Amino acid sequence: MVAVPRPAVRTDHVPAGVTTRDDLTAPLTLAADVVIVGSGAGGATLAAELAECGLDVVIVEEGRYFATRDFTADASAAVRALYRDGGATMALGDPPVLFQEGRAVGGSTVINGGMSWRTPERILDRWAREAAIDGIRPADMEPYFARVERRIHVAGQDPESIGTDNALLKRGADAMGWKVIPNLRNQVHCPGSNNCAFGCPTGAKQSALVSYIPRALHFGARLLSDVKIDRIVMAGKRATGVVGHAVGADGEPGVAVTVHAALVVAACGAIQTPALLARSGVRSPSGRLGHNLSLHPNVKLTAVFDEPVRGWEGVHQAYQVREFEAEGLLFAAVNIPPSILAMTSHPRGAALGRMMRDYDKTVVAGMLCEDTATGRVRSIGGRPQAFYQLADFDAAKLVRGVALLSELLFAAGARRVATPFAGVPELAGPDDTRALYARPIPKRAMEVVTVHMMGTAAMGADRARYVTDGHGRVHDADGLMVCDASLFPTPIGVNPMETIMALATRAAAHVLDTWAP
Amino acid sequence: MTYAHAPLTARLLGSLVPVMCPPEAWPLADAIVAHVGLTMGALPTPFRRALVTGLYGYDALALAWAPGRLRRAHQLPPDLAERYYLSWEHGPTPAHQQLAKGVGQLIKLGCYEQPAMQAALGYTPAAWIERVTRRRLEVYRDDIERQQAAILAPDPLRPPRPRRAEGA
Repeated sequence: MVAVPRPAVRTDHVPAGVTTRDDLTAPLTLAADVVIVGSGAGGATLAAELAECGLDVVIVEEGRYFATRDFTADASAAVRALYRDGGATMALGDPPVLFQEGRAVGGSTVINGGMSWRTPERILDRWAREAAIDGIRPADMEPYFARVERRIHVAGQDPESIGTDNALLKRGADAMGWKVIPNLRNQVHCPGSNNCAFGCPTGAKQSALVSYIPRALHFGARLLSDVKIDRIVMAGKRATGVVGHAVGADGEPGVAVTVHAALVVAACGAIQTPALLARSGVRSPSGRLGHNLSLHPNVKLTAVFDEPVRGWEGVHQAYQVREFEAEGLLFAAVNIPPSILAMTSHPRGAALGRMMRDYDKTVVAGMLCEDTATGRVRSIGGRPQAFYQLADFDAAKLVRGVALLSELLFAAGARRVATPFAGVPELAGPDDTRALYARPIPKRAMEVVTVHMMGTAAMGADRARYVTDGHGRVHDADGLMVCDASLFPTPIGVNPMETIMALATRAAAHVLDTWAP
Repeated sequence: MTYAHAPLTARLLGSLVPVMCPPEAWPLADAIVAHVGLTMGALPTPFRRALVTGLYGYDALALAWAPGRLRRAHQLPPDLAERYYLSWEHGPTPAHQQLAKGVGQLIKLGCYEQPAMQAALGYTPAAWIERVTRRRLEVYRDDIERQQAAILAPDPLRPPRPRRAEGA
């Protein structure tokens, strides 16, 4: 039986400067000043900053080029097209943690919610103190954050874009007397299509796809899409370029691609970057390459109200509840399409039907947990595999967060709340939320997901403890940098995109200041 | 991406539709199974092979499941299919449990990707997106064009340097 895909994404009208697999009919060799592997928050930002200053930059992206007009409400088709491995990527452990990586030009910025928050000052101070990184205190980072925020237009939402699900979340937080703040997002008059995770169909979200990538191309950068880099070419301890291959429509390898460059930058995210370095033979004297994986474990709750919610009408995450930020917990309303809600919910059969009949009266609320445990990315047969064990402390924090968020939802008027814990009956009122503390909830019963992977090539001054220096240059290697969330020495407790972009801007300034090919 | 179910895989997945999906979706079993095929086509090849192998194991091991009376999983009537699925969902090893959970998730995803199922929920995102997109362009065109120009505007504090490397 062969299924026929519904039309969802088109790939025509590729801009000048972008070479796709359709153009790659013979082996290709390029020379450049800088080759950047990955076109997401780190890679695109660095590329634009360096290209503007005259460096010859080649960006290599494994995923396809899609334009705004390609993005539709067909969530499933978008997941297949825009997410690595169709979204079926998982960190193994107890519990297994499903994670998502964007695989398209623009990287995960194409599929994120657009939350744009500066790194908390306590985190930057910690990095300066513990990792001995110079020039990373809040005052040092201020100009980089400001520059990024101008470029991607970080702003509050227009009031008319805020839907009922977010209004109910705020109502609950206000009723509890909890701190709730409007989310800052990289958007220009986002009208609240709530399709962020499947590609912004309005062009309002200023993902790298519509901000830093066009800027990089405008200033002369070249972009190869549909090209997977197999390894970084090392001459002794110096990186001299990359070799890879085109990725065919069926995923099969196509023609060979080689890029020679004075500077090689790995910017493919905290899962792929350590694997790329490892399969290229890069060895960190710290022995920490691939270690220190943080995930910001996320769980979701579904709350059913009497009133119509129609969560797909209105912006994704208009607010964040920050009352428990010091404990490492953030709450938000995170509407998801019915298919994905059904997929990730415990009921099945007739019970699933009963649950889904209330879909238009459902608020999906999510919780981010700043984790204390760390996992690891191993390269197995050249492919990365993440391993992560949720710490007991963090598991307890998830239970506490679920109880608190349930209380908020009941305060907002919810009739019942389904938790992310298998075997726990629906909560029918605030008394039930308190009962969550009374029963042991095994980790394997927790439905945990994440989109924030961090820390696997951490930066720090001490080459015996960290993989890169404070600017992302790999210790004990020349001409080799990392520029993505792999660099984070610790989790940051907020959405990481702006931190990645600010660090990339800072890295670009360092490259330009020290450029001597 | 060019995956297609083998007939046995399709029959087995079809037999699981009544286990995973609400009764109103049962007439859509073929379309749901086809959607599972699309999703499996996006999985990495080793993962997909492992999943298909697991499905064959699920089907064959029903022969040794006493209540099944020497029938394969895809041949079980709905009540026994449900009980057999439960025996895997709460199975003896994480592999049993993960296979049951994973297959169930694929079928539930395919179920609520069906236009008829979405329509029954009143889920109409495309119309909403079209409406707000049009309104955004009508009301905020100037601001949108200003940002698009700003994206390409040179930074006066960053004078370009002469290019060094040759292109190809």
